[in-house]
Amino acid sequence: MTEVLKIEGLSAGYGPLRVIHDLDLVIHPGERVGIVGLNGHGKTTLFYAIAGLTGWQRGSIVLNGKQIGRTRSQGPGRYTHQIVRQGLAIMPQGDEIFQGLTVEEHLDSGAFTPEAWRTRKERKERVLGIFAPLRKLMKTPVGRLSGGERRMVSIGRGLMTDAKLYLADEPTLGLAPKIGIAVMEALLAIDLKDSAMFIAEQNVALLEGKVDRIIGMHAGKLKGEASSSFRLSGSH
Amino acid sequence: MDIAFVIVNAVTVAAIYGLIAIAVSITWSSLGLINLAYGFIFSFAGYAAWLMAGRMPTNPYLIAGTGIIAGGIAGIIVCLLVFIPLHDKPAFTSRGMIATLAISLIGSQLFLMIFGPTSKSLPDLFGRWKVKLFDITLTADKIGIVVCSIAMLIGVVLWMRSSRRGLEIRAMMMNPHAASIVGIGIRRTGLYVMGLTGAMAGLASVLLSQTYYIAPFSGLTPLIKGVSIALCGGLGSVQGAVIAAILLGLVEALTNKFLGGQYVLMTQFLFIILVLVVRPRGISGLVDIAREQ
Repeated sequence: MTEVLKIEGLSAGYGPLRVIHDLDLVIHPGERVGIVGLNGHGKTTLFYAIAGLTGWQRGSIVLNGKQIGRTRSQGPGRYTHQIVRQGLAIMPQGDEIFQGLTVEEHLDSGAFTPEAWRTRKERKERVLGIFAPLRKLMKTPVGRLSGGERRMVSIGRGLMTDAKLYLADEPTLGLAPKIGIAVMEALLAIDLKDSAMFIAEQNVALLEGKVDRIIGMHAGKLKGEASSSFRLSGSH
Repeated sequence: MDIAFVIVNAVTVAAIYGLIAIAVSITWSSLGLINLAYGFIFSFAGYAAWLMAGRMPTNPYLIAGTGIIAGGIAGIIVCLLVFIPLHDKPAFTSRGMIATLAISLIGSQLFLMIFGPTSKSLPDLFGRWKVKLFDITLTADKIGIVVCSIAMLIGVVLWMRSSRRGLEIRAMMMNPHAASIVGIGIRRTGLYVMGLTGAMAGLASVLLSQTYYIAPFSGLTPLIKGVSIALCGGLGSVQGAVIAAILLGLVEALTNKFLGGQYVLMTQFLFIILVLVVRPRGISGLVDIAREQ
């Protein structure tokens, strides 16, 4: 079985700034991998590099057997939609949403493959099964939702297609602890089958014991790896 | 000359310039491009309709259809020449403005070379009948212009609301970055947007030729008015553009009546400046929901 994601010698950054330094990473089918690290150490940039959204990048990124990494010097986002169509679902950090679209239109916009578009009704039902509070809000513009509801929409949108790799960038950022835990639990409960999920998080306690692996990131490099039995020392 | 006549004129003018303003507005908010090439698109569609009228002078549907399709083709040409090569380069907004303005100017000169300076006119598309409503006499061309513009506008709005491509365009209008994340291709959407807005300008061109002539430079006035109405309404807002078009149409008709036609541009720009002083984002701030945080 091929790896879902295989990164070799990836460097990426913006202008003169180099954020990711010669990074190697492999993610296998069915795996749920957490990546932890402080702000500004490259977690989001790593996700952006996978999606082709950084200022420049070089190195090899193979998604599901297809090369999606290119040496690029400009034009962030030029190939993003093609990479996404290869089977990447991005649940971005913060509010990368369409303010004026309703929740329903938002979920529809996530169903970009012809097959997903045809079966979008069932897919929406599946998302509503995971995020029940959205059912009442289907006709509400997303700009009027609370932070937690927006995050649910953003994650639900990622679930509208059959992606090979789900990238969840700090899904609990800025949410009240209780809502953050609920969102994380929903993410961890998704049946991956042969796809994989890659979650960036600062709150290690939310991930420990619940993902297959946790990787640390520091100064643009991967530092240390822990298996699922990982326990944070001193946590209760 | 009474007040009813003024209002009828205002609505007719508003319908034509409103189409262009909405086209400018949609292009700006989805592609980030202020398209100044509508002058070229306008003349292109006008001449195409005129060529068709030379062959089939009696079929108004064919003439209007040719104008609309030619406008769409001209929009796609502009997209291929400007948007696709430039959209991810630095300073795209100003480069795009300069490039589209260049297309407008070069296009006008080309039309001057090919068709000569003589103006052309289209046959009456809507016939020569009249309707008396209360005390106002409505001529066929006025009714036709308003009905066609409103039908086109409703069609565009419905298509944007219901179809998948429309959803993609609206998504891109609100957040281009997030749009690429959900797999919406910016260059392909650019082709749809500019084809659609070009077709709107094409219809406006055919409609305006019921009142004015088609000439190499006939696209410049509609371009200036369309862009200024779009600015006044608030770039990016369809409702704002409609309101601004009606208000500016009213200003034009009232100026024509009380001051004379030579003052129209003066009063219009005074009005736009006044609106932008009070509401720097244009009128749309009044009606758009969930626009900003």
